[in-house]
Amino acid sequence: MKYGWVFLLCFLLFSGCGENESAIKVDLTEREQVILKEEHGVITYAYLPQYSHTISHFRHHSLIQYLRKETGLNIKQIFPDTFDEHMKMVGQEKIDISYSNPFIYIKIAHRYGAKAFARIVEMTGKDKFRGQIICRADNSSIKNIYDCRNKRWIAVDSTSAGGYLYPLGHFIDHGITKKDFKEIAFAPGPGGKQEKVVLSVYAGKYDIGTIREGTLDVVSDKININKIKVVSMSNPYPGWVYAARKNLDKKIVEKLNQAFRKLDFNNKEHREILEAASFIKVINSVDKDFDPVRQLAERVGMSLEE
Amino acid sequence: MKLGFRSKIYLGFFSLLLIQGLVIFLWVSQVMKDSMLEEIKNRGVSIGVSLSARMVEPMLAMDFLRMKVLVDETVQLDNGIFYTFVLDEKGNPLIHTFKHGFPVELKTANTVQDGQKGSMQLLDTGDQLIFDYAVPVIINDNRLGTLRLGLFQTQAEKMVNKIMFTTIVTIIFAILMAGIVGTLLLKPVTKSIKKLHDSSEQALRGDLDVRTAPMLKKNCWDIMQCSQKECPAYENQCHRCWYMAGTLCTSCVEGEYAKRIDSCQQCQVYKQCSGDEIQSLAESFDAMTLSLKGNLSDLKTAESILNEQKALLQTILDAIPDFISLQDNEGCYVSVNRAFCEMLNKNKEEIIGKANGDLFSKTLAEMFNKEDKSILETRIPLVKENRVPGLKGLKWLHVVKIPVLETKNYVKGLVCSGRDITKLKAVQEQLTQSQKMESVGRLAAGVAHEINTPLGIILGYAQLLLEDVEKDGQMYEDVATIAKQTKLCSKIVVDLLNFSRSSQKNITKFNINEAIKEVLSMVEHTFSLNHVIVKHEYDKNPLLMQGDKEKLKQVFINLLNNAFDAIKENGSIFINSGFGKTQSEIKISISDTGCGISKDNIKKIFEPFYTTKGPDQGTGLGLSVTFGIIKEHNGTINVYSPPLSGKKEGNGTQFIVVLPTGLNMKKGELNG
Repeated sequence: MKYGWVFLLCFLLFSGCGENESAIKVDLTEREQVILKEEHGVITYAYLPQYSHTISHFRHHSLIQYLRKETGLNIKQIFPDTFDEHMKMVGQEKIDISYSNPFIYIKIAHRYGAKAFARIVEMTGKDKFRGQIICRADNSSIKNIYDCRNKRWIAVDSTSAGGYLYPLGHFIDHGITKKDFKEIAFAPGPGGKQEKVVLSVYAGKYDIGTIREGTLDVVSDKININKIKVVSMSNPYPGWVYAARKNLDKKIVEKLNQAFRKLDFNNKEHREILEAASFIKVINSVDKDFDPVRQLAERVGMSLEE
Repeated sequence: MKLGFRSKIYLGFFSLLLIQGLVIFLWVSQVMKDSMLEEIKNRGVSIGVSLSARMVEPMLAMDFLRMKVLVDETVQLDNGIFYTFVLDEKGNPLIHTFKHGFPVELKTANTVQDGQKGSMQLLDTGDQLIFDYAVPVIINDNRLGTLRLGLFQTQAEKMVNKIMFTTIVTIIFAILMAGIVGTLLLKPVTKSIKKLHDSSEQALRGDLDVRTAPMLKKNCWDIMQCSQKECPAYENQCHRCWYMAGTLCTSCVEGEYAKRIDSCQQCQVYKQCSGDEIQSLAESFDAMTLSLKGNLSDLKTAESILNEQKALLQTILDAIPDFISLQDNEGCYVSVNRAFCEMLNKNKEEIIGKANGDLFSKTLAEMFNKEDKSILETRIPLVKENRVPGLKGLKWLHVVKIPVLETKNYVKGLVCSGRDITKLKAVQEQLTQSQKMESVGRLAAGVAHEINTPLGIILGYAQLLLEDVEKDGQMYEDVATIAKQTKLCSKIVVDLLNFSRSSQKNITKFNINEAIKEVLSMVEHTFSLNHVIVKHEYDKNPLLMQGDKEKLKQVFINLLNNAFDAIKENGSIFINSGFGKTQSEIKISISDTGCGISKDNIKKIFEPFYTTKGPDQGTGLGLSVTFGIIKEHNGTINVYSPPLSGKKEGNGTQFIVVLPTGLNMKKGELNG
């Protein structure tokens, strides 16, 4: 019993002692200056930042890998923070391939000579999409588009097609101008703007919101979309467009067009790429396809220079 | 030096706290140190992972300003962070926090593989040790680059030491606080225990008026608003009411503590006045001493009564002439009375605890043991008569042995009671002898009555023949012999008839002195021829009595003849008469100066046919007849040899006859 106590005491005293970890010697005195080396022969690819960079990366990373592989071009995705930055980078030739909405496209085509060479077919199977006017389902004061007068309106962005331009044209077609609204606001911050419009209406901060078709499905995991009512929908207009910057080698454009045409939704590998990018097909397009949008912009009084 | 209770508690208390402190300091603190280091490492990983996640967007946008802000903010976050930098997917630095260029060796000092959450490597810069963390920057399973973070190990050690110091201070503070709190808590406990100890010692010394429990602020008569002054609990501040019997509260259950405590526990008084375990102990101790005091008093009274009863019982037992003993079931004597001690000629202490073998001879002990064993086994009482040797020869004892049953099936011992019946036995023998003699007397009387007539005829014819034959011839002598022997036979027959009381009674009133004088006139001449002088001393008053004068004269003749025969010649006979103790009895004394009677013979002299005289001189019926006549007159006769009035060493015999005067009796009322 006596030895038991001695053993216990020794155990308590020395059981906490452990071994020291081994350290690697490093010399911090040898230093270098960090200079970024410009990579040559890179084709830059940018997705208009309507969502966060992470989502943009998720949606288009596989597609870019596919295009690199198919075209043999050193294509690299870059991430401008805003729509304006995106447009400016096209003008500065920092973006070779722009994937944008039709409203931005007509702007960069007008301002910087960008040329459309392909456009997408939506997951709905249509090559056009519409804008939606939404409100809370329990808002009894809004039953049709005319009830939107004197209401607080939140739109996606002043440069958004489905989230602003198309619904604005729709309002004007019904005799409602911007002055008829009590307030017109745009979703704050970079990225995630479509979702922010839905959430603002859902929270009751604004009476009505305008979003592009298909956004409610994106937010269905965040809110109960049955609480949101679609008041009215705009006319359909051409969908998102691939445009090449001014002076981009036509061979490159051709390679890309060929690669896009090869994408087959029935092919398992291609389907994964297309589903990630949220479209089912890329078809050839020319600048003329976007004249209805230009006409709409003109009709609502929006300048392509702004 | 012996430690007191309080010192032991303190010593144990502080030893325990000290050991606990050492254990905490040496073991728990080591565990804490390890945990702390692990926490710091995990913290490095956490910061790295968090920064890595936040670094994704700027890296995608190649926004160096945001990247720079992020790494600088991270370093400024904590003094323990030495550096932060980001490597691109090729391992080239994109951004860092070093002011004077990027240390080249740091690039490859720590790497993290794809799929790993992070990697930690201890780096030695020469001046200090650095925990270097490498965390991959990943987006959608694609690796954008690596984030690196450096934490000072010395800073971590400082934190650990700070914790250890805090631990030591906390332990010391805890020990001190525990000591202070323990002292405050222990003081009343040890004080109460000491008071209990003092009280118990006081009680052991015999003083049961102890008061251990503290005074209460509230008392039962205040709580219950009671004014019953006759209640034992009223204004009794030394004892709680629930410990006291006979309280008068209407809600109280009658009886002792055990009966009423369940009821009392529901009472307001109990709820308000009952304290902690120590107070309850003190109160119950007080109640116990009070109860003990009462019980001791009762016990003393009971002991006194018991002793009195015991002494009384012993007195009774000792006063009883019968001997009594109590044996246990092993045969050992437990209790005896004085008669038993006297029988064994031992005192009580020599007998108690001994067995038969220690007190009696081997033969008797074996016999008694056999009897005792049989009684204990069969439980059948024993009644018997024993003949045992005593101090004055053999003794007859009437013995009764009874088993003592404690329960139906268990015999505790046996009680033996005995009585000395030696005298009774002698009387029984005498009675038997008397009955035998009475039978003989009746037989003899019958025979005498039958042969009296033939004897008369024989004597008549013998006397006729004497007249016819010549006096000088042989025939005359023969016939004379026949006549002489026939007379002797006739005398025997007369004596036998007198002995059997078959003769006629003639009751008259007469003076006993006259009767004596008449007897003396007949025998005085004959006595004087042998120089035997008769001296007499009569009472001056006439001693009148009612009785058979002739038979009483026969008594005096017999007694005087016996005296004469005892003297033979040259002696004196003294006759004395007078009243006895009262005027209703007459006492006559006849004593002689003869040879006296031996002690053996003196018991038999009144038996019929007992004689010390020759064959031709006595029939052995004289004193038997005398005894019969006196008894017939309700009198007594006693014989003393030597005489009461003479010297002890002198010879002679004295007969004292006491006769009731019988003057108040009617004629014919004599016994028989």
